[in-house]
Amino acid sequence: MTISCSSQITIQGLIKRYHFRPVLDQLSLTLDDSSFCLLIGANGAGKTTLLRILAGLARADEGEISIGANHNFSDHLLRLNLGYVGHEPMFYNDLTAVENLRHYAHLYLLTDAEEKINQTLHLTGLSQYQGQPLRTFSRGMQQRLSLARALIHNPSILLLDEPYTSLDPLAAKFLDNQLHGLQKPGRTILLAAHRPQRLLPIATHIAWLKAGKICQHLPIEQLAECPELNHYLQERV
Amino acid sequence: MKPWTRYLYMIWLIVSKDIQVEWRGKQGVPVMLVFALLIVFLFNFALQLSPELQAGLAAGLLWVSLMFASTLGLNRSISLEVENKALDGLLLAPMDRSAIFFGKSLSNLFFTFMVALVLLPVFSLLYDQNMLHLNLLLVIFLGVSAFTSLGTLLAALSIQTRTRDVLLPVLLYPLALPILIASVEASRGILSGQSKFELQSWLFLLLAGNFLFYAAGILFYGTILEE
Repeated sequence: MTISCSSQITIQGLIKRYHFRPVLDQLSLTLDDSSFCLLIGANGAGKTTLLRILAGLARADEGEISIGANHNFSDHLLRLNLGYVGHEPMFYNDLTAVENLRHYAHLYLLTDAEEKINQTLHLTGLSQYQGQPLRTFSRGMQQRLSLARALIHNPSILLLDEPYTSLDPLAAKFLDNQLHGLQKPGRTILLAAHRPQRLLPIATHIAWLKAGKICQHLPIEQLAECPELNHYLQERV
Repeated sequence: MKPWTRYLYMIWLIVSKDIQVEWRGKQGVPVMLVFALLIVFLFNFALQLSPELQAGLAAGLLWVSLMFASTLGLNRSISLEVENKALDGLLLAPMDRSAIFFGKSLSNLFFTFMVALVLLPVFSLLYDQNMLHLNLLLVIFLGVSAFTSLGTLLAALSIQTRTRDVLLPVLLYPLALPILIASVEASRGILSGQSKFELQSWLFLLLAGNFLFYAAGILFYGTILEE
């Protein structure tokens, strides 16, 4: 079931207020098909809010979002093409890893669910832990399983919100390798990162969210031409 | 898969997931059952009623214990989804969000009905009254269904607050009062041998409650859950 072949994301005039305070203020951004965009910004800049709106978990007060040729963003079938990794793993503690993934595989109506589950568990290096309840998983293992959940239906749009949070260096290195492998034609990735340096070699674009607006959005190759953004990145090494 | 088949399949996935989690964790139904039994025993020993009065109060006590137990189940049901933000996982799935409402309501109905099936023989023994009537089971089904659908909707409202465990009963009990009255009156009528014709106004009220709360869930549940 496919809604649109293109995974280009167009956001226009997005406004989101919390308690009358605008977190996103007339935000506009276009993510090209097959791009890997790093979304950077200080704490509270609105990165999570933007990703949650794109994932359909939060509602924008104003503005328009279209994905590919589909302008009806509220269409629930659009979520078939969307994978999201947030701050929390979104799993049930009493179920095992494989039971949790099976639940999501069925929600996404995958016909070859068991095969996809085995593939994603193998991809994220969790095959040997598949029978363990989630409550026994470390934070790093939960994050890897979250990635498996987001990838199980092979989405064309991947939204990753600070996936490196509370990962130890080994788990972070593992995630680096995973992200390298996730890029492919037809898949658009938007990754929010507080410290994005480690991802600069694999990203295609960078967008700087400041005061609720995208103040810079450029290809990684043009990064050297923007001293202010360079300075911001240097501060976060 | 046709849209309606898919919709029903999604509801079934949510119900079966809740049953699987409950079967694995056993943190909902056993607590509900123990709590309901405690209420029954406490009232029985605290009030020391005569057999005539007991017969009149049995229906009321049954429903009070069922609704308190069901509230525990509703809290457990929503905390299950809040933990690890599992609810976001459901919201991300490609389905109309009213399916989540139906799934959660039906699993809450199932768990409370299980508790009721254990409670009825206990009531029969303690209150010396045969409560294993098919018609009474129908009234319990309708009453619990209306109560859990309203509770599921209100639990979604209270989910964003820090005081959700307290807020849910505070919101739920006043709104569920008509359902409680209709359920108690219909149950009392059945136990005292009244005909269906005499009880039809209460049964109609229970049906209307179900219709109203399920319709409200279909219309508002998705909107309530989005930030």
